[in-house]
Amino acid sequence: MRPRLPQCRMRRPATLLCTVLACAALAACARQAPTAATSSTATTLPAVRYEAHLTAGGLPPAGGVLHNPHQGDAAVARSGALLFAAMNCDGCHGGGGTGWVGPDLADGRWRYGGADAEVFYSIYYGRPRGMPAFGGALGAEGVWTLVTYIRSLAPPADLPTESWETK
Amino acid sequence: MWRAALFAALVGLSAAGGRTQAAPAQGATGEDGQWTMPAKDYAATRYSALADITRQNARSLHPVWTFSTGVLGGHEGQPLVVGDTMYVVTPWPNVLYAFDLTREGYPLRWKYRPEVSANAIGVSCCDIVNRGPFYADGKIVYNLLDGHTVAVDAHTGRELWKTQVADLGEGETVTMAPLVVKDRVIVGASGGEFGIYGWIKGLDLGTGQTVWTARNLGPDSDMRARPDTFKPPYDHGTDLGASSWANDSWRTGGAPVWGFISYDPELDLFYYGTGNASPYNPEQRLGDNKWSASVLARRPADGALVWAYQFTPHDNWDYDATGTMILADLTIGGRAVKALVHFDKNGFAYTLDRASGRVLLARAFAPVNWARAVDLSTGRPVLEPAKQTGASRGNVKGICPSLEGGVSPSSPAAYSPRTHLFYTSTNNLCMDYAASHTTRLKGTPYMGVNTPYSAGPGGYLGTFMAWDAVSGRKVWENHEPYPTWSGALVTAGDVAFYGTLDGWFKSVDARTGQVLSKFKVGSGVVGNPITYRAPDGRQYVAVYAGIGGDWALLSGDTRSDDPTDVRAPADYVPDIARHTSQGGIIWIFAL
Repeated sequence: MRPRLPQCRMRRPATLLCTVLACAALAACARQAPTAATSSTATTLPAVRYEAHLTAGGLPPAGGVLHNPHQGDAAVARSGALLFAAMNCDGCHGGGGTGWVGPDLADGRWRYGGADAEVFYSIYYGRPRGMPAFGGALGAEGVWTLVTYIRSLAPPADLPTESWETK
Repeated sequence: MWRAALFAALVGLSAAGGRTQAAPAQGATGEDGQWTMPAKDYAATRYSALADITRQNARSLHPVWTFSTGVLGGHEGQPLVVGDTMYVVTPWPNVLYAFDLTREGYPLRWKYRPEVSANAIGVSCCDIVNRGPFYADGKIVYNLLDGHTVAVDAHTGRELWKTQVADLGEGETVTMAPLVVKDRVIVGASGGEFGIYGWIKGLDLGTGQTVWTARNLGPDSDMRARPDTFKPPYDHGTDLGASSWANDSWRTGGAPVWGFISYDPELDLFYYGTGNASPYNPEQRLGDNKWSASVLARRPADGALVWAYQFTPHDNWDYDATGTMILADLTIGGRAVKALVHFDKNGFAYTLDRASGRVLLARAFAPVNWARAVDLSTGRPVLEPAKQTGASRGNVKGICPSLEGGVSPSSPAAYSPRTHLFYTSTNNLCMDYAASHTTRLKGTPYMGVNTPYSAGPGGYLGTFMAWDAVSGRKVWENHEPYPTWSGALVTAGDVAFYGTLDGWFKSVDARTGQVLSKFKVGSGVVGNPITYRAPDGRQYVAVYAGIGGDWALLSGDTRSDDPTDVRAPADYVPDIARHTSQGGIIWIFAL
């Protein structure tokens, strides 16, 4: 158990106002609807690997590489925060992505990998156990905006022990 | 007073004096020792006339059998005992177990493993729960989280029919226990956090085909409300379920069905509560928002709406009214009344005339400050202006009860015709409510709120209490350190049973609340105890352990099924993980 995260006190998650900026972001996403999910050609299979996955023969599958066009861009991350609320992501993952029905996105641990491309895949195509595919509603640009926000959430130090005897 | 009540019960009176004189709505006579429907009987009393376990000997109760379901989700609901078989439905993936009670160790006769879509997990607001099966006509009937109703041969475990009733894509899941009346299976959908267009359906017990569908809101034609048969006690006019929602917001107005249903065979009416209005930001749905947060009475054969009463008009606190409607025949002011008693999330306990829907009494059973009282002439709450919410009001602080409810609707109450008292778990929590604008995107949450909780007055978070529904007063209560989320059971031995969130299962004196026995069952209890007489002739008590039902509780290291999901403890129960963790176990106790 790690130290207490920025407090997620609510059962129901926070939702930011759908501000002018968020609506603008949505409109921008709509304009850039899903032209290209990857930077590779349509005939190349993507080479997403999950951190925890094993590979037969120690050989990761070859393929195209997904690149986040906004990696580390703080302004895009701020837009992504608004989009996170406007698309109801916080309705499942909680305000600040600290978890509710859906898992915590700010704890530094990942079911399907935490690299940009892996997070992109989770949002664009969805995942089993109820993560909807947002690629249709957001397009690649909108998903990259969310990825940039989620990757900007600073995970706390991972302390796997929680003690009630010594605080 | 209790001595007089006991005397009346002993001599089987139904018309003696005393203002709490009462009798069960359906016969408690002829107790057969089974538990064939979720709430024991159609009146939803959760009362058993078995009396081997008494106030005198209950202290020797001890566990005699356990079984791990292998499922970590919240184990709400309860087993059934039909003849010599116990039936158990797990949370998702909704496995149905049939245990042979005639053999040592209760080996399985069979288990039924339906295919249930994992997508349902992400559309479940409040854990992957199931509130139990119903036995009728040789069939076990229950609901799957992904929106199907199934009927299974109670003898062989063979699937007889499977009907899709709900649409995951719309945010609908099914967690409630069905009610079977004659040849009708009645089911409804959860989804008050997803902006569904709430409904209830009647299926044919023989074939599973949907015979009728009735919306809980919207135009009269969708609601199966006809002017000649729909007589609400306080309202007039047509299409109230649509006209009480600004800008056609009823189309995504919620009003789900996820509690337990009761039925009165004499009046031929079934009763169920509807959940919250969607979204949580009330300014996106101005008006009364009928018939969310209401009780509806319908005919089972065709679903015709006969009356409806709204407990919380323009719900702006997430006060679902999906808690059980218990049917009891009470004597009020010297008059015999076919009553309906309901403990609402909004903190008031209501005693209604179940023929007409009129409110006879409404008193707070938990700390309440959103309303001062309920006006019996109009049926409406007298609102406290400072506790009304909405996006333009910002963060409204210190509202009681919290949206966990004065009682959780998943924690059904019990009624004893011997003590004339109702028994229920309660929560002592308040909340802040910061609403904000939200947009509906099909299949994603439609909420718009942030609601941190805090402890209510008194320094405890839950109780188990006894309530007199004639006088509207609390007779006794036991404080609990955590919110109390188990259902109640009461027996003719005058013993009541409940479990706690930190994992204790308790028996108490139904007349005083004195704890007679307690045992730590391995996980928090959010299920509902039952009692039955097994083939060996002895009386047993069964209950599920398995904390869940609210993701805030699953913070900290109780989220044991997913090491990639680590959360801070919820700050209103910061140390719950010290006392319990997830895990479904069936427990059976005996003397």
